[in-house]
Parts: sequence; structure tokens; C-alpha cells
Amino acid sequence: MLLTSVMVVLREVLEVALLLSVLLAATRLLELRARWFYIALLLGGCFAVIYGENLAKISQAFGGVGQELVNAGISIFIYILLIVVAVLLLVNWHKKHYKLLTMQFVMLLAVTMAIMREGSEIYVYLTSFWLHPPLLPSVMIGALLGAGIGYSLSALFYYLLCGLSQRYTLGISCIFLTILAAGMSLQASQLLIQADLLPAQEPLWDSSRLLEENSIAGQLFYAISGYEATPTPLEVVVYVGSIVIMLGIIAGVYYRISRD
Amino acid sequence: MKSIRIFLLITLLSIIMLVNFVSALHGYRDTVAEAQRLFDRQLGASARLLADMPVASGAERVVAQPEAMVMQVWSEDKKLLVRSADAPVKPLSEFAVGFKEINFSGYRWRSLTEYFPDNGHWIIVAERSDLRYQLADKLAIAAVLPILLGLPVAGLLIWFVVGRGLSSLRKLAEALHSKRAEDLTPLPECSPPEELLPVVQSINALLTRLQASFERERRFSADAAHELRTPIAAIQVHAHNLESEFKGTGQKLIPASLVKLEDSVHRMAHLVEQMLDLFRTTPEHYPARFEMLNLHALAREVLAEEYPIFAQRKQQVELLGGRVFIRGDRFALTILLKNLLHNAAKYTPVAGRIKVSTTLVKEDILLRVEDSGPGIPEEEYTRIFERFYRIGGDRHQSTVPGCGLGLSIVQHIARLHGAIIELGQSSFGHGLSVTIRFTKVKEDERD
Repeated sequence: MLLTSVMVVLREVLEVALLLSVLLAATRLLELRARWFYIALLLGGCFAVIYGENLAKISQAFGGVGQELVNAGISIFIYILLIVVAVLLLVNWHKKHYKLLTMQFVMLLAVTMAIMREGSEIYVYLTSFWLHPPLLPSVMIGALLGAGIGYSLSALFYYLLCGLSQRYTLGISCIFLTILAAGMSLQASQLLIQADLLPAQEPLWDSSRLLEENSIAGQLFYAISGYEATPTPLEVVVYVGSIVIMLGIIAGVYYRISRD
Repeated sequence: MKSIRIFLLITLLSIIMLVNFVSALHGYRDTVAEAQRLFDRQLGASARLLADMPVASGAERVVAQPEAMVMQVWSEDKKLLVRSADAPVKPLSEFAVGFKEINFSGYRWRSLTEYFPDNGHWIIVAERSDLRYQLADKLAIAAVLPILLGLPVAGLLIWFVVGRGLSSLRKLAEALHSKRAEDLTPLPECSPPEELLPVVQSINALLTRLQASFERERRFSADAAHELRTPIAAIQVHAHNLESEFKGTGQKLIPASLVKLEDSVHRMAHLVEQMLDLFRTTPEHYPARFEMLNLHALAREVLAEEYPIFAQRKQQVELLGGRVFIRGDRFALTILLKNLLHNAAKYTPVAGRIKVSTTLVKEDILLRVEDSGPGIPEEEYTRIFERFYRIGGDRHQSTVPGCGLGLSIVQHIARLHGAIIELGQSSFGHGLSVTIRFTKVKEDERD
């Protein structure tokens, strides 16, 4: 039970915490105030509890696939928000003080959504053990271990990004935003497959021998890049497509800025 | 990074947490594997024990077993001979020797199927998997809990230790902060940490170079001014002689060029004198001889000495206030008063008014010189103390020679006396008021 708890919480915490690390590094790069971050934490936490409390009702909606549809919607929404953040980050790097408030609002929205989605899953998982007191210590300790590992990795990642020279921080932040965003759209496609809105297919390959999904490294890769050991052709297309679209937009914006 | 202390606290705690938690997880996995092997051995022993048990080949027998364990004994022809009370009548697992994970009665079980050719019995024993993990969980919790409880303590200790480690940096910052602008003496190198020593040495080297550079500049300017004095005096004498010679030849009109020459030489002499005064009165180098003196009396003496300037411009000068005593350098204060009065005379129009006052206000002694000139805008208050700065620059309207050094000299002398200069509007409604605020001398120091 302890190991399951570690993996469930680590998976969710890492996803949000890595996104936060990149966005906080971007905030620092543009010398913005991190007030949006505290508001997002607070709002995300509140919405996670509300969403978690109503998850049973949401699941029943749309013929029993309500949760999959809502989560897929949230993931696609975060993907779009991250494109906007990457574009504004690039524009602001070259042209200072351009729509900084909008950028902070978009980051706040993306993080709030991510915390709400992942937090609600942790909330539902943990509260399901309230009625099983003998299992509770293992579950809670596992959750703390998972949260601790997730937090530590993200904190170190944040300082690593901040420690780079500003030019590299910008480039690496954009690359990570792209990978994280593609991971979001991949998750959306997986949820839509679960909801039978996209066709289920045979896996294209099985890399679980190389990297097991349920290991810490596997969870880390899942959080960063949406790692899937047995992806279907459709998932691969969605993932690669998301990366190409976002990189295309970033390259286009970069080209225009450089030309100006 | 905003704060080294917070950076070190977060990164160190993160590293401690990551290393410990990942180690705890590995430990947990090893414990689970070890517990699995232990329980598997127990299952094997139970199966062998059951194989040695005499079993009648008649009707099925049901025996009591511990709650978390079930067993079945089957004959060679797959007929159930014995089963525990909780075990089903169907085979728990297929008849193949080895361990298996099975589900029944709402739990996951670890089963072992063994075949004993001696009596031809198939024995299936199974144990609840969750109970196996409970043992590993308990061991892991026992190992992890002290780490979890110790983390806040570690955080607190890191906070204090890092704070202590950074105290040298804080002290260095304080030492630099408390240095006066003109203090270029090296920082004390009393046993700074190895990491800070190069910083202190670099700062000291910089201060030494800066001091040497200032000194060179000061000496050059002072020497240049001093060296210029003699030739200027000679030019003044020659110009005067030339004027006398012209008058001697009976010419009534002196050439305009000669008048301009005399005027220029006079301005240059004034500039050289002012430059010498400026470098003489530098607080760091001035050999001050402080004595108790009556500022009011000194102001009266200087006014009397400089009266011709005011008389020439038909200006009305008043000296107000009474006896006030300060500890000061007579020579320097005379220069200060002269500069203030010259400035007042210069900017006050012909037949204008000038007021000089010495007053005691609470703990301070105020020397105030007010004129009825045009005054200066507030935004210029800080700039007028800059060397060679004159409001309006070359378009300065004053007809009196000036070089923009007067108030710099006044500032030097005020600093020498620990006094503050305050600028404001004069009581005439227009014009400048310059107040020098000296600290009052105690009664017992006066005599």
C-alpha cells in the first residue's frame, strides 16, 4: 500500500511541481513578482477539494465518462495556456514589459487548473482510506514520501534552471514548456481513448523493460514528457503533433521578433 | 537568487529529503522481497507439514486454520480430502506445482501448489498477500518516520548554521555600509573566512588605488593653483604698470583691451585663490585648530572687512542675533563667511538687502545668510554644491567674478565642523537663505 501511495502521489505532485518550476523560472527571468504563484496554490487547492468532492457526480455524467471528458478538456486547456505562456515569455524577453499582467494571469490559470486536476486525484485517493484506519498510516507515509520526492526533484530542477545563464534559461524553459504541454495533450488523448471517443489500438512498442512506468524514474519521465511504455500509434501522432505545433508557433514568434 | 540562506535551506533540505526518501523506498522494496521469501518458505513448510499428516481417503474433512491462511489437500485423482474452513470446495489454484497470485473471498492471495508422489497428494496452501505487505509497511514506517520527524529539525538547524556561516558576509556588508563617503582606509582583515579573504583583499586594493588616485588629483590641482599664483601676480603688476605708463604719457583714455586684460587677470586670480581654498579646506587634509569662538563676533569682523563690496553695490547689510559660541577653526570659518557673503552680494541686485544672523535654536546654533536676489529653484539645491557648477552656466547673469567653487568650499568647511547646510527661501520673500547648523557647545566646554 505504501508503494502504491508513493507512486500515486509522486505522479500527481511531479506533474504540477515540474510545471511550477518552469513557470517560476520564467517569472524570475522576467523579474516578475511571484504573487500569482501563491494565489494559484490557494485557488488550485480549494478547487481540487471541490472537484474531488464532486468527482463521483461528474463521473456519472455523459454516460459514465464525465471525469475522462472533463479531465481531457482541462488538459487541452492547459496545453493552449502553455503555448500562450511560451509565446509571451519569448516576446517579453525581447520587448520588456509587454502584457506582463496577461502573462501572469495565464500562468495563474494554468497552474490552478493543473493543481485542481492532479490535486483532486490525490484528494480522492487519500480520502478513500479514511474508512480503513489500519491502512491509513501506510497510505499517509507513502503520500508524504511521494510528495517529498516530487517536491525535492522540482525544487532542485528550479534552481538548476535559475543557475543557468539567462539565454539558456529562456531556451530550456521553452523546450520544457513544449514537452510538458505535449504531455498534457497526450494525457487528453489517453482519456479520450478511455472514454471511447478515440479508437483504442494495439501498442506500437513496449519499452517497459527499458523503463518501467511504475518506477521513480518512470514517473519522473511521465511527469516531464508523458512517458508511456506502450503507446498506440494515435498517441504517438498526438504527442509528436503537439510538439510540432507548439515549436512551430514558438519558432514563428521568434522569427518575427528577430526580424523586428 | 534572492537569498543565499533560503537557496541553501531549500536545496539542502531537498537533497536530504530526496536521498533519504529514495533510500527508504529501496529499503522498503528489499524488505517486501525479503518478507515475500520468508512467507514463501513458511508456505512451503506448511505444505510439507500437511503432506506428512495422515489423511483418510473417505469423506472430505474440514479443519480449522488461522484466518489469514487457507489450505486444501487433494488426492491424486483430484478429489478433495481436506480443506480449511475458509477454503472453497473448488481448487484454489490449478494443479501445477509452484507459487501463484489468486483472488478469492475479496482478497488477493499468494498460493503454493505442491505434489507429493509418496502419497500422491496435491496440497494447495494460500496466504493473504496484504498481510505480507503489512509487515513490510510496518518496517518501512519505522524507518521513515524518524526521517520525516527529523526534517523540520534539520531545516531549523540548516537555517541557523547557514545564518552563522553567512555572518562574516553580513559583517563585511556592515563594515562597507558604515564607511563614510570620504573614508578610503582599507577594511580590517582580522581573520575573515578563507572564501571572503579574496573579496576583502580586492576591496582593499581598490580602496588603496582610489585613495592614491584622489590624492594625485588633489595634489596636482593644489600644486597647479599654487604655481599659477606667482605668474598671475606678476601679470597683475605688469598690467597695473602698463596702466600707469599710459596715464604718464598724458592719454586720458585707457585702451579697452587693457581694461579687459585687468578684469580677466582679476578673475583668474580669484579662481586660483578659490581653488587653493577648496583644496586647503578638504576635511581629510585640513590641519584644523579648533578653538572656542564667538560666531557672532566673527561674522561682524568679516562683514566689516568685506563691507566695501556691499558699499560698492549700495546694498544694505544687517547683522542680527547675539553671542553664540561654537568650537571651530577661525581661519576656515572666516573663509566660509566670506564665501557666503560674496555669494549674497553677487546675486543681490544693486541697493538690495542682505541679512546675516546667528541664533541659538534648541540644541543647534544657526548661522544664516539671506539675500534678496532671484533665489534658486529647489531642484538645483543639490547641484550647486558641485565644483564649478553655476546656475545658467556660461549665461550666468552675475557681473561679479565667480567660478562656481564658493559653495563647495562652504560644504567642506561645514563638514569639517560636523555642521549641516540647509537651503531655503529667504525671509525677504525672494532670494536664497543659506543656513549652517552647528551643534551647540556645552556650557562647561566654553571656558
